[in-house]
Amino acid sequence: MSTLAVKSQPVYQELEWDRSGTHHILFVAAEDAALAHRLLANPPPGSMTLIRLNDSANPDSAWAKQLAASARYLEAHALPETLDLLREALYASRMGTRLYLAGPEDAIWQASQLADSFGMTRDEVRQMQLGTTARPVFCVHCRTITRGVHTNIVPCSGCGRALFVRDHFSRRLGAYMGFQIDAESPGDIPAAEVIYP
Amino acid sequence: MNASFNIEIRRIRELAPGIREFSLGRSDGEDFPVYSGGSHIVLSLPLGERQHRNPYSLLGDPTVRNTWRIAVRKQEQSRGGSAWLHEQAREGMRIDISAPVNLFPLDRLGRHHILVAGGIGITPILSQARELARLGADFEVHYAYRGPEYGVFADELETLAPGRIHHYVATRREQIEFSTLLAGRPLGTHFYICGPAGMVAASMNAGAALGWPESHLHSEQFLAPTGGEPFDVELTLSNKRFTVPSDLSLLEAIEQQGVDAPYLCRGGACGQCETEVISCDGELLHHDLYLSAEERASGKKIMPCVSRLKGGCMTLKL
Repeated sequence: MSTLAVKSQPVYQELEWDRSGTHHILFVAAEDAALAHRLLANPPPGSMTLIRLNDSANPDSAWAKQLAASARYLEAHALPETLDLLREALYASRMGTRLYLAGPEDAIWQASQLADSFGMTRDEVRQMQLGTTARPVFCVHCRTITRGVHTNIVPCSGCGRALFVRDHFSRRLGAYMGFQIDAESPGDIPAAEVIYP
Repeated sequence: MNASFNIEIRRIRELAPGIREFSLGRSDGEDFPVYSGGSHIVLSLPLGERQHRNPYSLLGDPTVRNTWRIAVRKQEQSRGGSAWLHEQAREGMRIDISAPVNLFPLDRLGRHHILVAGGIGITPILSQARELARLGADFEVHYAYRGPEYGVFADELETLAPGRIHHYVATRREQIEFSTLLAGRPLGTHFYICGPAGMVAASMNAGAALGWPESHLHSEQFLAPTGGEPFDVELTLSNKRFTVPSDLSLLEAIEQQGVDAPYLCRGGACGQCETEVISCDGELLHHDLYLSAEERASGKKIMPCVSRLKGGCMTLKL
């Protein structure tokens, strides 16, 4: 089983502001006090909107605490609702907007798909992985995406097949490819291991 | 090096003082290929003993395959190309043209498209507008020209997209205000401009100031090679040494030596003719729109279609 990164696997840079933008939307789905401090202590020119997934036990978010008073702050308690907030913000946004996504891959790639649907291009969107490394897994057999996968083998939430989670990633789907591990010898399924904590 | 067609000039129309439209058909009677909006072709014009090659945008409907159309403005300081098309060209004449190349394509993932034309820069904009209309895409056209008689494609545009064409006539003191035109546009808007250098630069500056990223700002300009002082050239791979006269571009002089140099646009835009400078003992006069500031400063690259050397001799890896 390959654990080596393949070409399609995303590599994330440390988040930096794009100071050529005139409106900045920061979408965060995980805590990172050091990153929050580094970014928000030195904000770019222009207006800012912070959209935060607030699903942790700690309501005292470093993101919210560091935010400038002039910035707009929006939060929701689950990812789908947080993505709805982002959709509304993008709908009202104008050219000159930059989008920054920080969080687990499942959240930042669903947010990326939303940005794609508004016609944003790669030079307008920046991403950084934070928090859990759990993977969204696309079943190549039934096309269902199983979310929050921590193990190398997982039952598909759509068809129930035991899927082997590959490193092969689709930016369009925002998910790793999963294929049936016992297709050749039915029932021969190795024990799953937690490798994406 | 490029695929080419022999064509017959089927029809010449005088559109305005100094602007002529040519309808071209293949000499062998076959259909042309389909092209994409924003494409150009290179015409090989018989100027005396040498072939003179000029790029012109295709302006017709990209899906019409029996006729291609171009429009040519007579350049005040023509080195012969546009003057030949205005003074010598006749219906029925045959010349060679290249296959189409597109350095100014539409972004089909865009959600709204703003097309801007200055003067004869309307030609690629017209084929882009036709393609957008056919796709059912959301677009608007802003067309600036010197006086009412120079709005030569105004009627065609109005037919194509009624109510979405905005006219700016210089004699009526109308001018495009780019910081207003580009402000407050929804996400996913793309901007395309073809026109005079000053107009293109003003629009790009306005876009950058409003935070537009480069990927949404599209422009096309073709530069005509300017003459200049003669200089000496040595080609190491072809083993040639010659002088570039004042009225030929470096690329044309290389071609006159029988050396098959790469090119596409011949207007400093595409980068195809990029050539390595091994050494030079003069000042490189970069006129292209392609090389970066660092590449220019390195003195190791030149675009022979529009750039030259001031004094001395240069050695090229060609």
